[in-house]
Amino acid sequence: MPVLALDAGNALFKGLADGQDPTAKLRAGLLLEQMGAQGYTAMAVGQRDLVLGVDFLKKKTKGAKLKLLSANLVDAKGQRLFPASVVTTVGGLKVGIVGVSPASPDPKVPAGGTDGSALLPPGVQGQPVQPAVAAEVKRLREKEQVDLVVVLAAVPYVEAVRLAQGADGVDFVVQSHDGRGVGMAQRQGVSTLVPPGERGRQVAKLEVSVEGTGPFADLSEANRARESQRLVEANIARVNERLKAEKNEDTRRSLQETLASFEARRDALGRTAAASGPTSGRTYLLTYVQLGADVASDAAVQQQVERVEPPGSAGH
Amino acid sequence: MSPRRLVALALLLLPLVAGAAPKKLVLLFTGDNGGEIAPCG
Repeated sequence: MPVLALDAGNALFKGLADGQDPTAKLRAGLLLEQMGAQGYTAMAVGQRDLVLGVDFLKKKTKGAKLKLLSANLVDAKGQRLFPASVVTTVGGLKVGIVGVSPASPDPKVPAGGTDGSALLPPGVQGQPVQPAVAAEVKRLREKEQVDLVVVLAAVPYVEAVRLAQGADGVDFVVQSHDGRGVGMAQRQGVSTLVPPGERGRQVAKLEVSVEGTGPFADLSEANRARESQRLVEANIARVNERLKAEKNEDTRRSLQETLASFEARRDALGRTAAASGPTSGRTYLLTYVQLGADVASDAAVQQQVERVEPPGSAGH
Repeated sequence: MSPRRLVALALLLLPLVAGAAPKKLVLLFTGDNGGEIAPCG
């Protein structure tokens, strides 16, 4: 099956103070090189990618296939610092990929608030997230006629949820910033929020099938519903067995009530399974590939890693 | 409609039906890597 590899951002540095670490620059450079070599198409610029500034990122990705994206990062003159999106065709599907970064804090809101903003380096301004994404998605849908829109949202979770709830024309929002790790894909209003994993410990694998238009259905919902349906059917069989043997009228009434509630549950699960089943036109299935010790290292990459972080060093 | 016309229509529509198979794609996502280049912890 055709594959598209994307990074939701906050890939390059451990924290905002990482610029003091002499190996930080080497690590970030190696990561960008390797993402390019491994065929990544795009990455959103997150707060933790800006530790060594915009020029470092631009220099390291000049001429590279990997595109760094941000629809809302601008310089002091209001000029966009990175492309807002990239369009690529994979497996016959035209995919629009938008990157977005945190908005700068509103000076009127007290620091430490939960407004979904984040501090950015001097000279870098994060414009409000939702209008920037909405404008770019509109352009991709109307001018580029894309089949699928993915937003790489390197923004706090609260902002990503707001984005997914209100971003018309967006199919998937993939969030990074808080290191939330793995989870389930969540339908949020008009689009689906996808957790990408964290710290290189796993890769999120989203298998997408597209036929026609309309909202995406989660195949795992159908799978879970079918599994629950099987359990409820086993319970129904047990209650029926007891009913056959039971003579006491009060107990029989109670069992019949239980049976009716189980049957209603079974039918509801059947409807869920049918509504999100594989017959739907647009479906997805999210799983994670764990990158544990059982996954062999590439010898050439390992050598480059050990040049930056020798075995036994603090980084290991 | 004559049977011959029906057959012709069916033949015309066949490629459309055959071409309507869903398009499939695997999207691989990473995020919040936080500068990790080697296994740790």
